[in-house]
Amino acid sequence: MGEHETTGIFESIVDKLPGNFDIYFWNFVVLMFFTLFEVAAVFFEKIPGTDIHISLYAVWAILIGVGVIKGYGIAAYFMHLKGDPRIYTRTALFPVLFVLLMLWGIGLSNPGSVQALPEWCTPNWDFAEVR
Amino acid sequence: MSGGEADVKNSIWMRAVLYGGVFLAVGILAFATMGVGVANVKHHAYEEAIEEYEEAKYAYEDAKANNASDGEIKALKAAKEEAHHHEVDAHLSYLTWRTAGITILLMCVTYMAFIGLGGFMNSIYPDDHGHDNHGYGGDDHEHHGSGSPIIFSLGVLLFLMGFPSFQAVLGNLLSGVDANLGDLGLSMLGLTIITAGVANWWREDLPFIGNHEQIATSDPFEGQHIRKAGIWVFIMSEVMVFATFFSSYLRMRTEWCTDWQYSAGNCESVNVLTASDFLRPNGGMLNGVGGQGDFMTILPGAINTFALIISSYTIVLALKTAKQKDWTAPEGLMGKLMPDQKSAVRNYLLATFLLGSMFIVLKLVEWSHLVAEGFSIGVQPAEGVIDYTGQAASIFYISTGAHGVHVFVGLLVMLYLIFKADTVGYDEKNAQGIEYFGLYWHFVDLAWVVIFPAFYLY
Repeated sequence: MGEHETTGIFESIVDKLPGNFDIYFWNFVVLMFFTLFEVAAVFFEKIPGTDIHISLYAVWAILIGVGVIKGYGIAAYFMHLKGDPRIYTRTALFPVLFVLLMLWGIGLSNPGSVQALPEWCTPNWDFAEVR
Repeated sequence: MSGGEADVKNSIWMRAVLYGGVFLAVGILAFATMGVGVANVKHHAYEEAIEEYEEAKYAYEDAKANNASDGEIKALKAAKEEAHHHEVDAHLSYLTWRTAGITILLMCVTYMAFIGLGGFMNSIYPDDHGHDNHGYGGDDHEHHGSGSPIIFSLGVLLFLMGFPSFQAVLGNLLSGVDANLGDLGLSMLGLTIITAGVANWWREDLPFIGNHEQIATSDPFEGQHIRKAGIWVFIMSEVMVFATFFSSYLRMRTEWCTDWQYSAGNCESVNVLTASDFLRPNGGMLNGVGGQGDFMTILPGAINTFALIISSYTIVLALKTAKQKDWTAPEGLMGKLMPDQKSAVRNYLLATFLLGSMFIVLKLVEWSHLVAEGFSIGVQPAEGVIDYTGQAASIFYISTGAHGVHVFVGLLVMLYLIFKADTVGYDEKNAQGIEYFGLYWHFVDLAWVVIFPAFYLY
């Protein structure tokens, strides 16, 4: 966390930005901006100044996309996975397999799903129906 | 301070007791002003608003019963609805001040107990015994690890074993019902052991000035600091904990017909209100509840998100400042706030601590509003009616509550970091404490990055 110098695309962009601010400052600015963006996406029904309606699916996409960007910013720069030895990234990624299994095996396994999830999303559907 | 040993005198530990006194004073002051003074004024306003609403309702019913003109009934109905909104606003305003005052008091009492007891327990050791050379600061000894986490874990185990009774007995005590104090025993024993474990941990860590950090000697972490590998493994176990909440939430959510799903034509009628229906603008309504969200209702959650991100940055600044060899004081106001490196590290940690504390206060204020508006785990649908709101509330309070507990535990640890920054000090050699705690704090921020959109916005 904040102890080694790292090199990469974002670092080289930061080097070219005005002012004497480091990657942590710009990461902070990006995180603040995207948080504002996701709140605005939910707050406004239409894009301000236009008649373009923000659909449910667009909001989903924004929330997921912004979540991924913010997660990357925190893990890569604030938690310094980008500058630390790879073993830490591997450690961090280790539970992802279990998380995905849980989200699939439990999260998407509801037979009463209102959206009629596809079969691959409902692994215990038959079991649940028989009971 | 760099080089040599850290000499921890009892007078330094007594400073922790002084910290405790300051926290108690702040808590009592905040409770007296916000939780009693302002809240009482707001309560009077709330009572007046109830009376106005009752009068408006009576006038409307009376006009209807007496066959008044349509125009008059319409005007009275509008007046009744306005009075109702006024009453709801007055109630929420009262709850805001009352909850904030009580929360600050309880937090400050916990801070006081945590740092005050830890300081007191360490200050009662003789000065020449075990304070200045535990093998951490001296050059002749190696770091052999600590038994304190085991003591701490045992305390947590006992506390949680007795927690159901502990909670019930405390509830009975607060409401004046006869309570069996014997039930408190197991939890109180657990709390005592936790306090002893924490105090011992501090005693071991405070003199640590960075010498002899244990290094892993075999794969996969060969050459890495063992404590850093440990905190990463701990964080990964936390990822699993939060994943269980999310998978449960996702399973429930796929069955619910939320307002959004209904609007998208995916189901026939709304059968649940989620937290976002109460918080975001244009949220759904069910049985006359929900759908009152606006900018002000989503504001606490949004402020909390910004607070956590800012606190993540301030703790990065604390570490960066501690590790900087050629640190110079900034100019202007910041220079006055941070005249030297030691105070700069302390103040960045203090800023992180204050932002985290604000997070807890705002979260509980928000919870009090949600419960008052009908988003409660106790929601019982009428017979034959499908309403999953109680279920939605359950997973919301469990998930956001678990996150809040993580924030609060982080604040307690941060108290110690502030204490060390203020006494022994951090530099490029012993800043690992801030670094490892920072990893935990960033994880808490990361969890909120998922919780906030999933529960507050979606």
